[in-house]
Amino acid sequence: MTQAVDALDPDQGTFDPDQANRYPPGDLAIWIFILAELLVFAVFFGAYAFTRMDNVELFNEFQLHLDRQAALINTLALITSSYFVVRAVSAIKQNHSAACTRWLIAAMGMGAVFLAVKTGEYSHHIEQGINLSTNTFYMFYLSLTFFHYMHVIMGMVILAAVAIKAKKGGYTAQEHTGVETGASYWHMVDLVWLILFPLVYVMR
Amino acid sequence: MSNKPFLGILPSTWVYGILIALTFVTYSIGEEGLGGLELSLLVLGIAIIKGHLVGAYFMGLGKLRGPWRWPVSVWLIIPGGLIATAFIFSN
Repeated sequence: MTQAVDALDPDQGTFDPDQANRYPPGDLAIWIFILAELLVFAVFFGAYAFTRMDNVELFNEFQLHLDRQAALINTLALITSSYFVVRAVSAIKQNHSAACTRWLIAAMGMGAVFLAVKTGEYSHHIEQGINLSTNTFYMFYLSLTFFHYMHVIMGMVILAAVAIKAKKGGYTAQEHTGVETGASYWHMVDLVWLILFPLVYVMR
Repeated sequence: MSNKPFLGILPSTWVYGILIALTFVTYSIGEEGLGGLELSLLVLGIAIIKGHLVGAYFMGLGKLRGPWRWPVSVWLIIPGGLIATAFIFSN
């Protein structure tokens, strides 16, 4: 059984492609949910890009008002949190519940950094009187980023639930579907931001 | 897709380093205030590469056989294609 577990761990040198699973890690239901979420974000991104076609100067002007340094910190925070989640999955595959819990808590810490920085950005916009009605650029910027912000909160709730169960010894090397399910959702949140960051903050 | 440690470092750790480095490239382009179609497409290309790395190595899809290997890659092409098309026609 241990050999089979090792075979499915991408971070173990004993990985055997012949034993690779045909299905993604975690519960298949979360993947249906993830694909639905990704489709919604794809529509959002397309709408942003095509609306920009008729408002290039407006989008370019107000994009410069955004805090790219905050966006950089947030990107680093989400990538780091995703990496921590990878380590959490690796840990539980080696039956290290305590290490899995610590990696998950670290990932949530990075998620909290993201939320704190983004909340700071929103506070700054509110102080400036910026809202959804200010102009088309801010309508897209605020709605897109806030939609993603809500997903980060949702992801942190899921990671917290997984961490609590891991701490209680609820997962083992043989049965850790819950950890992989939570991890998959969190990676989706990271994946969406990897497109959102350059699109809204950099591309002009 | 090799899953063996390279120079004693886990594949996921290498990928993490690459993601961080590419993020700084994107940030530098934005911070310089550089624009134009070519740079926009470069930045988009970097984002798609990063997304592919997350899908293959972090989500674990790169080790799969069959259709479940591809959903993230296909998803990256959809918004990537829409964004590229819109930027090409707006320049």
